[in-house]
Amino acid sequence: MNIRQISKGILAWLEERLGLSVVMDFLRKKTVPQNKHTIWTYTGSLILLFFGIQVVTGIMLAFFYKPTLEEANKSVGRIMTEVPLGWIIRSVHFWSASFMIAIVFVHLLSIWIIKSYRKPRELTWMSGVFLLVFTLTFGFTGYLLPWDDLSLAATKVGTDIPRSIPWAGMWVTKFLRGGDDVSTDTLTRFFSFHICILPLCLLFVLCIHVYLIQKLGMSLPVPAEERGEARRELPFWPNFVYREMIVWLILGGVLISLAIFFPPSLNKSADLMAPAPEGIKPEWYFLFLFQTLKIFPARILFVSGDTVAVSLILVAAVLFFFLPLIDNKPEERKGKVITLFAYLFILYAVAMTAWSLLG
Amino acid sequence: MKEKRKFRIFIYIIFLIFSSFLSLFTITADAYAAKISFSAFDLAQQTAPPAKSREAQAKAQPEKPPEKIIPAPRNIKESTAIYVFLGWMWLSIAVLIYIIRLKIKEADRLYAIKFFSPEKK
Repeated sequence: MNIRQISKGILAWLEERLGLSVVMDFLRKKTVPQNKHTIWTYTGSLILLFFGIQVVTGIMLAFFYKPTLEEANKSVGRIMTEVPLGWIIRSVHFWSASFMIAIVFVHLLSIWIIKSYRKPRELTWMSGVFLLVFTLTFGFTGYLLPWDDLSLAATKVGTDIPRSIPWAGMWVTKFLRGGDDVSTDTLTRFFSFHICILPLCLLFVLCIHVYLIQKLGMSLPVPAEERGEARRELPFWPNFVYREMIVWLILGGVLISLAIFFPPSLNKSADLMAPAPEGIKPEWYFLFLFQTLKIFPARILFVSGDTVAVSLILVAAVLFFFLPLIDNKPEERKGKVITLFAYLFILYAVAMTAWSLLG
Repeated sequence: MKEKRKFRIFIYIIFLIFSSFLSLFTITADAYAAKISFSAFDLAQQTAPPAKSREAQAKAQPEKPPEKIIPAPRNIKESTAIYVFLGWMWLSIAVLIYIIRLKIKEADRLYAIKFFSPEKK
């Protein structure tokens, strides 16, 4: 009996019990549109790849991390200095989070520009916006876990922002902190959010998102549609998967190289009584929001500047969520204005991030 | 002939993956070797450590936690192992990309001639 016969036997045994041929048939029939925008379709699987890396490295870190006021910083220190390859695992976790968030932004912006959210893909877009929110919340909750002076100060500022939301603000801040101020309750709360609640929520929405993509297929971009281009397609398996593999390998290599050459450091343990260190800044993906809040004056007429800024950001977020319902008809002018907004948003976010970094 | 070529490529991939992991485990093994001493199982060597003198005990003060921990390889062995691992990783990636490109060409050719389409069958 050679290897081929053995593997055939195993496959036949599995097929009898699991009926995997249905999945294989689906994958064989699945196609991906081929045009100059195809490059953006690689971002979807890349997000899954980095999420997988986050899960694996996160589990490894959770073996050693202790979410208490006395031990949080020390345990991260031990991971970096005593656990074999611990500093590389933490560094991969840190860089992979940044890669994942960057690619989620690229993925959503590309869909905004090529208008793939139009009928019947409205729910795919909305579930995607939820995934963006979960990913950013992952970053925000994870930032506090090393419990150093920078992460404490950034969390104090971050959890103070919702206070400006009209009516519900105080409640949201108290809920996030587990009390009036950032304390040990905030740490345990953020830890349970980071390793339990958020992964479950993200997996649930991710399943819906992937199901919708499989059910509705990938759209032909509007510019290609307008030019009346014939639909050129490529089989998903194996032609497209092979191409994706190349991107995974390159970005995986870049990730590991960055993790080795630029690992994140760890500051001294946070002191709840100490004043905030100078020049605190959030992670790069929150910088444009942070700078937006900074440029608003203290008071605008009779209202606090922060309340106006937070309310405007919330309105923009709601409009962003309902974008498929706003841009629902292929009207020439309205569609073009909305695409222009996408480019303006990119310009604004880059400019604000640069200003915050240089300022 | 084709089978032989496939087998050779398969062996080469296995070798690349194995050698990459080997270099990774070398680092782990070095780190463990520093902690686990086999002499611990030698009963003849189970002696108590020398007691500290009173002056030494008085001098010993509680260690201050470091201001900032900057992660880096702990010794020259670890840093060499990391560079070897990085080299192997990028070499493996280059070889795998070369193989995948060949596979893409073949898959595209089969798709172009409608090899798997039901009409042809």
